[in-house]
Amino acid sequence: MEIDRYRRQILVKEIGQKGQKLLASKHAILIGGGGLGSNSANLLIRMGIESIDIIDYDTIDKTNLHRTAVFSEQDVGKSKALVLQERLQSVNTDVQVKGINKKVTSKNIKSLVQLADVIIDGTDNIPLRLLINETAIKHKIPWVYAGVYETVGMVMAILPKKTACFQCITPNIPDSKTQEIPVLGSLPATIAAIQCNETIKVLLGKQPAGLLIYDVWNQYFDILDVKRNPCCPICGKK
Amino acid sequence: MKIAVKIFGRYKDITGKETIQLDIMDGNTLQDVVNAFVKQYPAAEKDKSRMMVTKNNMFASFDTTVAKEDEITLAPPVVSGG
Repeated sequence: MEIDRYRRQILVKEIGQKGQKLLASKHAILIGGGGLGSNSANLLIRMGIESIDIIDYDTIDKTNLHRTAVFSEQDVGKSKALVLQERLQSVNTDVQVKGINKKVTSKNIKSLVQLADVIIDGTDNIPLRLLINETAIKHKIPWVYAGVYETVGMVMAILPKKTACFQCITPNIPDSKTQEIPVLGSLPATIAAIQCNETIKVLLGKQPAGLLIYDVWNQYFDILDVKRNPCCPICGKK
Repeated sequence: MKIAVKIFGRYKDITGKETIQLDIMDGNTLQDVVNAFVKQYPAAEKDKSRMMVTKNNMFASFDTTVAKEDEITLAPPVVSGG
């Protein structure tokens, strides 16, 4: 690791040289490389983790371009995972960046995430997040949820059996409908930055903040200190 | 009975407050709290079936009963876009 490139970050007392070295030993798995995921991967790679697998089976659409600076018009039609690998590897050659053009399913998720120190959520639907949650809790892998809608973003770092899990906070979610989700273009980068901060804290062994809700239009920032649900079917005691 | 409900996110914009008072009956559930909130603030109607509701810092299902001393919070639904 070329330590000098992180000199300004090492000056931050929350990181320091020890924290920077620790980050450089951590492997992240990003599931979903769209608006949120591309921005989160970009930040984590710049901040100096050891390695990241970016998993996405989708191709870049022109409607992705308004909410990420990582893709350009020339990328439309190409694999998100493979474009991110190529683009972000050149940002930091110290980091091993691997794009995986694959759909995450209940059958392959274990093999895809089992070596992760953290799973980062870049997905766009609740069922896949519930699958990530169940797998992460079962295999004791921390993960960091993030989602966006209109002008509101949410982030929550989940430490298996220590914090509330995603199932704990979604007892009232009805069957999801497939529909195009409205998103303000500047929102995913903002929420990805918050997700990246919570991810770094998890990797450094710090306590995450709870459920963060940020409305970038009205400038409301809330933190919900959520307890684990002892009756949760995924992380509860039963 | 009147209960104090702490609210989050855009609900602050809808209500202009951080805490509101809602009238519910003894033995009512969180569904009744949500119904009372939506009746008072119809702009939240579209979230009615998916609202995040906590009772004493724990997310809870709509059929959970509520007592006057419970700390209740209402937040907009979990967002799922990426």
